[in-house]
Amino acid sequence: MIPDWMKDVDASPCKCSATRHGKKGFVGKTIDGIFGFLEEAFVSETYSKKNGLLQSLDARAKLVSILAVIFATSMIGDLRILIFVYLLTLLFSFLSQIPVLFFIKRVWLFIPVFAGIIALPMIFNIFIPGDPLLPVLTLGPGAHLGPFSLPEDIYITSQGVNAAIIFTVRVAACVSAVVLLFLTTPQQILFKSLRTVGVPKIYVLTLEMAYRYIFLLMDLIREMYIAKKARTIRARGMLEEQKWVGGRMGYTLIRSIDMSEKVHMAMMSRGFSGEVKIMQEFKMQSRDYAAGAMAISLGVVLVLISHGVLRV
Amino acid sequence: MKPIFDLRNVSYSYVGKIDALKDVSLKIDLGERVCIIGSNGSGKSTLLAILNGLVYPTSGEFYAFDNQITEEAFDSIKDNEFRTYFRTKVGFVFQNSDVQLFSPTVFQEIAFGPLQLDLPPDEVKTRVEDVLEMMQITKLRDRSPHTLSGGEKKKVCIASVLVNNPDVLLLDEPSAGLDPRTQLWLVELLQELGEAGKTVITATHDLEIIDQISKRAIVMGEDHMVKEDGETQKVLDDLALLLSVNLVHEHMHFHGKTVHEHVHAHMDGHTHEHGTH
Repeated sequence: MIPDWMKDVDASPCKCSATRHGKKGFVGKTIDGIFGFLEEAFVSETYSKKNGLLQSLDARAKLVSILAVIFATSMIGDLRILIFVYLLTLLFSFLSQIPVLFFIKRVWLFIPVFAGIIALPMIFNIFIPGDPLLPVLTLGPGAHLGPFSLPEDIYITSQGVNAAIIFTVRVAACVSAVVLLFLTTPQQILFKSLRTVGVPKIYVLTLEMAYRYIFLLMDLIREMYIAKKARTIRARGMLEEQKWVGGRMGYTLIRSIDMSEKVHMAMMSRGFSGEVKIMQEFKMQSRDYAAGAMAISLGVVLVLISHGVLRV
Repeated sequence: MKPIFDLRNVSYSYVGKIDALKDVSLKIDLGERVCIIGSNGSGKSTLLAILNGLVYPTSGEFYAFDNQITEEAFDSIKDNEFRTYFRTKVGFVFQNSDVQLFSPTVFQEIAFGPLQLDLPPDEVKTRVEDVLEMMQITKLRDRSPHTLSGGEKKKVCIASVLVNNPDVLLLDEPSAGLDPRTQLWLVELLQELGEAGKTVITATHDLEIIDQISKRAIVMGEDHMVKEDGETQKVLDDLALLLSVNLVHEHMHFHGKTVHEHVHAHMDGHTHEHGTH
């Protein structure tokens, strides 16, 4: 059956030896990076299983409380109160047996990326005029950037710095609250609790399914990459690698569309007819109501203090 | 007895070009145990999808429980009494477990079907617990489907269908990828369901199990037509037929009831004599 050339067997010893050849290819690094992040972000349900304060609360009470805190925080303009809210989230992370250092790192990983980029221009007098704090450069009269005219001197303003700090701390407090919610609630219960704040069933179901199939597609991509690696005999150029990535993206899309059709069939086969029916298994206890009420009143008090209605 | 499924000259082609079924006519009675056998790509899965009302014949007619199944009658968004009846009656275990396991946990997965059929929550819970125990997967209750092994996934899939207590069970390659012990367990389960009066229709190319789980075998040819429809044992004895549909290799024999394969290297003009085993 096999052709003649396939009958050759090379039994001579290898003339070369394995040595280190620099860094990993960019495809491997990217895939490892993305999956590492997703796995850390989603699979690390270790904290949600600990026996801490927030873990013991009903998911709905937690969701409503945290939303109340976020609403309040977005309305507070006083830096001291914002810092207070942030410190409060740290306290809660401690009470929920989340290492505070890990928690701070987790939150501040996002802040520079999102808040920083938005807040940075605020500190210059181009955007918020105010008292000079630190001169940056002198442009002279009549300076302009395209159709926009620029001021003679560009400097950092104290008002700008203040606004940027308030903005950043506000984002930090809000993100901390959300991260707390994510870390202390198992994913499927968190999704389910969204129903209580009025998110329609079909969105919740879609979210749950998307979450479930991320892992499947992740495995698919990882397997494709490993299969490629197994057959890559000679190192390939960047362009070749990029072409491969492009092709695989298309293939993954086709596979996921095909899969979604089959999943829909499997759902129909078991009686799904467009309307989702799910089981509600929540039990609210009096302490859950108390927690929700406390969070909402704390939010209201903080907003009132910040707006000068209440004085401390 | 009136047949529950009645296919009349059914053909099906994907995107109007690739033929999957050609001129298939057959009837299946309540309580029958049927195997659909055929080589890869002969149309077994498509036939099951038609029997489950998931795809509709390109030409020909399909009747189930005395009603013609058409896209217009079956695929409406509005509530549809007959469809609910059909979905309660007929369960389908898919070949790829992953398409069937779309819920976040095993418990929710199994509860999905009964909830869609509007059973009260308490009954859903009892049923799910019963099925978990029957399938010996209670310990998997709160696990995510993506963390399960292949065999465990298959068990959860079967559980999620059996929980609806369908009278008709369609299974697509149920034994594929299972270890020998789990395969045997599956055969026993299908036998028990069959003896309880369920209609069990299995598409497979696992010749070792078909005479244990079916009395009737429908053989699909590579031309997507029904080549034979008769007693399982007779079909298994008809080596010429099995050869013609490329289900067996000429070096495959049966020892009593088990299939036996010989691995041969064709070198130096070696030939092999049959009938000596």
